[in-house]
Amino acid sequence: MMMRFLRMPHVGRFFSSVAVVAIIAVVTGPPGSTATPTAGFTGSFTEKTSFFGLFATARYLEFFVFVLLLFGAWTLWVSRGEQLKAVTSKALGAPRAVAQHKPVKWGLRLLLVVVAIVLPHIVTDPFWQAAMVEQLAIFVLLALGLNVVVGFAGLLDLGFVAFYAIGAYVTAWVTGALPTPAPFGIHLNTFYAIPIAIVIVMIAGVLLGTPTLRLRGDYLAIVTLGFGEIITIFANNLYGITGGSEGTNAIPHFSFHAGFLKYVWGLGPVPYYYLTLLFVVIFILAFSLLEHSRVGRAWTAIREDEVAAESIGINPLKYKVMAFAIGAASAGFAGVITAGQTVFVSPATFTLPVSINILVLVIFGGMGSIAGVVLGALVIQTFSMYLIHTPPAGYQPSDLYIYVGALLVIMMIFRPAGLVPSRRRKREIGMAEAGEGHMDELLTGDTP
Amino acid sequence: MSDDRIFDVQNVTLRFGGVVSLNDVSLHQDRGEILAVIGPNGAGKTSLFNSLTGVYQPQEGVITFVGRDGKPISIIGKKPHKVSGAGVARTFQASRMFSALTTFENVKIGAESHRGFGAVGAMVKGPVTRRGERASDAKTVELLDFVGLRAKANTLSASLSYGDRRRLEIARGLATNPQVLLLDEPAAGTNPSEKLGLANLIRKVRDDMGVSILLIEHDMKLVMSLAERLYVLNFGSVIAQGTPAEVRSNPDVIEAYLGSSAEEMEGQT
Repeated sequence: MMMRFLRMPHVGRFFSSVAVVAIIAVVTGPPGSTATPTAGFTGSFTEKTSFFGLFATARYLEFFVFVLLLFGAWTLWVSRGEQLKAVTSKALGAPRAVAQHKPVKWGLRLLLVVVAIVLPHIVTDPFWQAAMVEQLAIFVLLALGLNVVVGFAGLLDLGFVAFYAIGAYVTAWVTGALPTPAPFGIHLNTFYAIPIAIVIVMIAGVLLGTPTLRLRGDYLAIVTLGFGEIITIFANNLYGITGGSEGTNAIPHFSFHAGFLKYVWGLGPVPYYYLTLLFVVIFILAFSLLEHSRVGRAWTAIREDEVAAESIGINPLKYKVMAFAIGAASAGFAGVITAGQTVFVSPATFTLPVSINILVLVIFGGMGSIAGVVLGALVIQTFSMYLIHTPPAGYQPSDLYIYVGALLVIMMIFRPAGLVPSRRRKREIGMAEAGEGHMDELLTGDTP
Repeated sequence: MSDDRIFDVQNVTLRFGGVVSLNDVSLHQDRGEILAVIGPNGAGKTSLFNSLTGVYQPQEGVITFVGRDGKPISIIGKKPHKVSGAGVARTFQASRMFSALTTFENVKIGAESHRGFGAVGAMVKGPVTRRGERASDAKTVELLDFVGLRAKANTLSASLSYGDRRRLEIARGLATNPQVLLLDEPAAGTNPSEKLGLANLIRKVRDDMGVSILLIEHDMKLVMSLAERLYVLNFGSVIAQGTPAEVRSNPDVIEAYLGSSAEEMEGQT
């Protein structure tokens, strides 16, 4: 009798709503202390502070309001969700068709670039200006690179931060900022670090990829995780070479001297913003051409059915290593920018959570979709920065991943293929759910 | 006739642990021939195909393939993509298309896989890449016409019928410019009219394109009408060979197909 009651869809949904809102209340509630360990929990419901800043009422009142709101929205989604989807897709149909025209498409893209160019003049808060370079532009670059590996080639890389670290340390090395002498004793301008770092990072990608890309799925993920850790540990422990845990803070800013033209990128973030933006545009163009080329199709073929791909002459190892090296290139470039802008490199910047963060951006935005991962990176990073800039009541810095995680979970329920899904990926996920195709192999590592 | 061989398989043995999948198999195919391999379930037919295409590496024996330039090469030890490059194309027992791609894209991947333009060219979209893309597009259209899928070029391959999937796999295989096309049970899951169409298509591939055909098939009517010569495998060994008429009257073949119980044939693939 009891079980049957709980299995009724409305009842189940109601209790799930209560549970979800309770978790939110506790997470955003006051911290407990050793003396009163339960204060954090009870205070979450009784204290007179707001959990989202919507109302300034007692928490238990807000708690009930939010439970009812969630329950109502959920029920509506279940009963009217299909109709809602039909209505929105019908409403979006006409503008979408217009946006497909080539001149309109390029016009919109140009508009986005123009917005990106004027943005630093609109957003003048120094916190946000710094965040736009250090947290948004850099992570857009990293997400673009990881998207090549995870989205295009279907390889799960959990140590992507290693390439970012190598890019930054190579910059420190060639500009003579590390304890180990620069190559041939020449201290290069930071600009020259860009090609050198990209080449070295790509070589690192090939070196890591050649032996490990014979592995699949989980095994590859573990090996790349290890690689990421090894690089951080090297940076930490090779004191005489990398400067150990303190790293170095002697990296010169970017500067440009050519006859009369002389420009030094100083401490302000805006010049770095433009420099990074230029390269973001270049990487987006290059990667989208790549996606719709022979190489991009070969990656799709390998991702979907490696045996069939081999049978028509595609060398899987070659294309996987290629994906690793190309993806690493943009991470290496991001490393150069970070090193040049902050003039500082230390192992603490390149930890496992950063790798996971980049992966979250890619999954949230939509694996395999360039527009998706860029948007995903912008949304998640802006959200994280917002939480740091204006923390809600009871927010602790360590809560960040709870919020981001919740966002990701909601995304996976309502849009499993991501914010802007790639057309190919969306079909694959649809087919995997219908029990067709070979999409699952990424997750299980099974090979027939 | 015998000096223009395309495949020469000598004393090939393939084992998985203690299970012998192919036992001292010898067979050969002449250039331009439609050859069939038949046998009960678990006889080793697909293992033979996998050995011929580099997916499996037999422990003993020699497989020689004579490609375009007339130079014999050894298949054993070569990776599948190298075997494909030498001129061997295949289809799979359970169709293996790239199901999230369209019919056109599926065939195009085959057409461009042996072309020499790479990632850097793609990122700058240089002249070599443009030329390669155009050539692959033209070839893809030509092949879709040939197999009769032109009208479904932009259909998702997953939504094609079984018969059309077979046609797609044949087109994708042909796109790699093969010398020989290996067809693993092309008629499985198709209806009688699709079967007839496939038989005509297979004959057309040989007659118009000069591609030799090696066929595994369960449908006796199709095999007997299509194949010029056939081999019969049972428990990993060749038990008979000859023209369809000869094989049909061979007592060993009748025994293999009718005389053995179902239990004996199970547990091996």
